Amino acid sequence: MAGFPPPGATILGDAAAGKKIDEVGKKKVDYFNLPCPIPFEELQREAIMSLKPELFEGMRFDFTKGLNPKFSLSHSVFMGPMELPSQGAETLKIPTAHYEFGANFIDPKLMLIGRVLTDGRLTARVKCDLTDDLSLKANAQLSNEPNMSHGMVNFDYKGKDYRTQLQLGDGSLFGASYIQSITPHLSMGGEVFWAGQHLKSGVGYAARYENDKMVATGQVASTGMVAMSYVQKVSEKVSLATDFMYNYLSRDVTASVGYDYILRQARLRGKLDSNGCASAFLEERLNMGLNFVLSAEIDHKKSDYKFGFGLTVG
Amino acid sequence: MASRVALKVGGKGKNSGKGGRGGEGKSRTECLKEWTDWSLHKAKVIAHYGFIPLIIVIGMNSDPKPQLYQLLSPV
Repeated sequence: MAGFPPPGATILGDAAAGKKIDEVGKKKVDYFNLPCPIPFEELQREAIMSLKPELFEGMRFDFTKGLNPKFSLSHSVFMGPMELPSQGAETLKIPTAHYEFGANFIDPKLMLIGRVLTDGRLTARVKCDLTDDLSLKANAQLSNEPNMSHGMVNFDYKGKDYRTQLQLGDGSLFGASYIQSITPHLSMGGEVFWAGQHLKSGVGYAARYENDKMVATGQVASTGMVAMSYVQKVSEKVSLATDFMYNYLSRDVTASVGYDYILRQARLRGKLDSNGCASAFLEERLNMGLNFVLSAEIDHKKSDYKFGFGLTVG
Repeated sequence: MASRVALKVGGKGKNSGKGGRGGEGKSRTECLKEWTDWSLHKAKVIAHYGFIPLIIVIGMNSDPKPQLYQLLSPV
């Protein structure tokens, strides 16, 4: 109703009314005011969230105690078989048990997360907003064994409709990435990296198209990786996702299909793989702050069956 | 055996040659490299032992200030 011109309007009025009809019918794209794109490393985040939950085997118990809205401590106990990388076809598992203590400080400007295991391994994550647009992120995994420690620092700059990132890692690892919004729905970007220690370098390109109902991404890299993913939001509670990964240097192909049910009291994610692997992950809210977790992964090709259960408090 | 001895002798000769060129036992770039290695190692040890206590100190000093017993009790 608002778009119809009043009777007896002048030529100028007609033109203005015409533009209004145009806006109501089809929104005019303002290419100077595009939204800021998703960061390059989170390009496939919907597909990763739906298809790759944190599957585990054994028993897991996590307790998070909040002392403050910003500060909390976490205690985590894990008992179960740990898989060792083995050369042969069969999987090697050793039963392990560990306790992990963690401290989190989460502020809008500064985030510090630290986790330490019983064998002395420390995982540290720092995220600091230096200015409104520039932020610093650092992760490190430090251990008592020599030459087993790694660290990485990222500098992220967020522009009006683009983002850039510079990455510095130990072992002389350098990386940079850039992503730009091309239309309100499409964003494209690229990255380069150089690893001094392994004398490898690579270039990659990525594109992401999203609207209210679906997200499609594609990524190609000179390391031989081609990855595509598609996530469709079927309804408020249900999403279906599919993923395709191909390495053109090693001729390795993996395709997977999965679903993600986000219900009021539970979240169920299931996936079926082209490697003969079926997995499911259920998180159920039993009570306020009490979550029950079930994880299952059945690998028919390797005859490897992994089942896990756990409780998360807080 | 003989070749191994010959290599060792050759190595000693090379070292003295380099030292003679630098004017002292180690050249400046070697000193700098050793210093950066030492400082990186110390920084790694400090981060390893000090990161979690740092988070706890920052957290205990943020407001609303939590009490000390809350750190240890499970409630």
